This record gives sequence, structure tokens and C-alpha cells, in this order.
Amino acid sequence: MTQSDPELVSLNGVGHYFGQRLVFRQVTLGVAPGEVLLVLGPNGAGKSTLLQIIAGLLTPGSGAIDWTLEPGEIGYLGHGTCVYPFLSASENLFFWARMHGMTPAVEDITTVLDRVGLKAAALERAGTFSRGMAQRLSLARVLLLDAKLLLLDEPATGLDTASRSILDQEISQARARGAAVVWVSHDARRDVLLADRVVVLQGKGQAFLGTTTAYQQWWCDA
Amino acid sequence: MPRLPRFLILAHKDLRLMLGLGLGLVQTVLLGLLIIFVFSLSLPVGETMSGQGAAAIFWLASVFGLVLLFNALYHLEEANGVRLGLLLAPISPTTVFVGKALAGGALLVLAQIFFLIGLVVFLGQSLYGQWLWALGLVLAVDLGLVIMGSLLGALSQGQAARESLLSVILFPLLVPLLLGGVKLGGGLLSGVSIQDETQWMTLIMAFDALFAAVALILFPLVFREG
Repeated sequence: MTQSDPELVSLNGVGHYFGQRLVFRQVTLGVAPGEVLLVLGPNGAGKSTLLQIIAGLLTPGSGAIDWTLEPGEIGYLGHGTCVYPFLSASENLFFWARMHGMTPAVEDITTVLDRVGLKAAALERAGTFSRGMAQRLSLARVLLLDAKLLLLDEPATGLDTASRSILDQEISQARARGAAVVWVSHDARRDVLLADRVVVLQGKGQAFLGTTTAYQQWWCDA
Repeated sequence: MPRLPRFLILAHKDLRLMLGLGLGLVQTVLLGLLIIFVFSLSLPVGETMSGQGAAAIFWLASVFGLVLLFNALYHLEEANGVRLGLLLAPISPTTVFVGKALAGGALLVLAQIFFLIGLVVFLGQSLYGQWLWALGLVLAVDLGLVIMGSLLGALSQGQAARESLLSVILFPLLVPLLLGGVKLGGGLLSGVSIQDETQWMTLIMAFDALFAAVALILFPLVFREG
């Protein structure tokens, strides 16, 4: 990331309510290409809501959000895996690729399944997968789309140690190819090592935004 | 595989799932045949039902089938949050609307083949050779049905009481369409030529055009908020 890179998405004073309940307010941040932004905060702080706002799936209650991305350039891995349980792993990937205007070859699908350790299960129905396998298939879907902005909402859910390593590797590779990653995590101590910046949602607002070094200092002071 | 329009990719996926797994279609056919059979019990032995009565039963079975089919079609997008994936794909919501309508229409026509056999077997009906007119009528009415089914199926997705919600909203709106279908279908089943009944066909076409326009405007909002 350099100072001259235009931000892929920028939020200015964004707030959101669910009914009468304030989730957060005055969140201001931007995400540049090649940057990994870690989103931290306690349960109910609005981390997933923030990700959905960045994805354009929710309209913020207040503030403004701007994207410099084209439709289809956001890869979103949310709490749902976006996987059709009655289709096989490879059929799921073919479907999502085609819906994004891609025409992948069988080798492309096999390669991405291999990257997440699911090559042997390519023809198995996704509904028979464990939570961790379904999560890896969902990660494969996001990787296949070659998105410029990856939004990962607790992507480590259900993953074993080996799968966590795959996830870390893929996040590093995404950053290396210039994609930005916004990543919600509950394992700050571990995941902060992979991030460039950290935002902390707490107390109905943005409690911290800064580099990982500054975050560690802020956390120690707090 | 050549690049297909994305509404066809979506419809192909839906048809594969619905036909491959027997989702929706089997229940639709069984319910429709059951409706036709139960009405056949109301006839005295040796009597056949009037054409208009039989047509009303055919469209009643079709509308109940429509509710089942579109509930099943939109339920496919509820599992594991796949609807969010569709919202983030570089497609217009209209693509989803057309894909669902196409898949629902194909399944409805399949079910109606069984309903027509049911009319012959249980209600002693005949089309008196007016097959082309019957096909035209069924397609014209089905177009309106699937437009409404696709729109209102999206509206009721994610609702706990989706079956009743869809039925409650759908049935009153379909009254003009069903009136036309029953009137013209009754004529066909009675052996009467419907070539001069242009006002009913005009009503059906006007319904199709009006609600196609309404659906194209409302569907993006409905699907996004679902």
C-alpha cells in the first residue's frame, strides 16, 4: 500500500440502528489496495454489521460510504457459507464463477479446491461437509472470484489448525496480489500479526483505528 | 460450456435441484391430483363435470402448486445465506427474477400435464381437439402466474409463515387472471370455440403486461430486503 493508492472503500461518520437499538455511530475509515484491516470488538459491537455495510448489503443509518469498486469485485465470506448443500463442491464453485461472468475450466476449479484442501471432496455434496469443510469451500468461492476487496467475517470459524494455516496463507497471498482484506476476528493476539491496521468497535462507536503497533500500545494502556 | 445468460444459469441450477431431488414438483403434482380427485367425488356416478367447473379446478390446482413451487424455489436461496452471494454477484436483481420465473414456469407446466391427465381420468373431460388453443391459453395464464409467483415468492422469503403469507397475498391478486382462465378453459373443455372470446384473452394479456412491469420495478427492492 502506498499513500497514492485510492481507497477501495471509505466510510465517513457511518452509523447504524437496528430498530431503536444503536449498533454504532461515527465510524470513519478507509481501506486501500493491498491492506489488511482487522476488525475487533466484543460481541454485539457491530463488526458483522460493519462488514455488511462495506459490502453494500446494508444501507447505513447515517453517514456516507463510497466505493471505487465495480459490481462483483467484493468477495464476502459471512456467517452463512453461501454454499448450496445439494450441489457438489465443484458444482458450487462453477455456479458462483458463472454468476460472476467467469467461464472457469475444470482445472481452475480443481486448483482452487486444492488450495483449500478440498480436492478429494470435489464431487461430494456440500451438504455432507463438516462446518470446517463448508467454511473452506466458502473460502474457495471467495478466492476463485479473484475479488479486489475480501470481506471475511470470522473466517476461522470451524477451521482446524491446518486449515487456519491455509487461511493465513491465502490472506497473505491476497495482500501480495494487491487485494484488500477486511477481516473480523475474535483472536486478536494471533491475527494482529497478519494485519496492517486495526479498528476496534466498542461502546457503540469506533474506539480505535490505527496501525498494529499503535493498537498493541493502545491495548496495553487500556 | 459456452457462456449462457445468467438467468439461464440460475434457472438451470434451480431445475437441477428441484427435479434431481424431487423438491417441490412431487408435492405439487400430488396436491393437484388430490384436489382434482376430491372434487370428482362430488359428482353423481356416471355424470361428468361441466367444462367451466373442471377449468376452475384445474386453475385452483395450478395456483396451489404455484405457491408450493415458488416457496421451494426461494427456499433454495435461504440456506447458508446464498441470497447474499447473489446480491453481491455482478447481476441485476431482474436476472434472479427471470431465472426463478423461468424455472417455476417450467415446473408448473410439467405439473399441469399431470393435472390435465387428472381432468380426463377423474372428471371425464375432453379438449375436443383444441390443443393449440389450450396450449396458448395455458401459456398466457401461466405467464401471469409465474410473474406473480416470482415476485411474491421473493417477498415471503425468510418469513416463518411464508406459505400462508404467499397464499394470502397471491390469491386475491390473481382473481382477474383466474377469471379469464376459467372462462376460456371452460369453453375449451365444453367443446365451444374460443376464437371470438377476445375480451378474456385481452384481460389475461393486460394482466401479464401490467404485473410484469410492476414486478420489474418492485423485485429489486423485495429481493434485497428479503
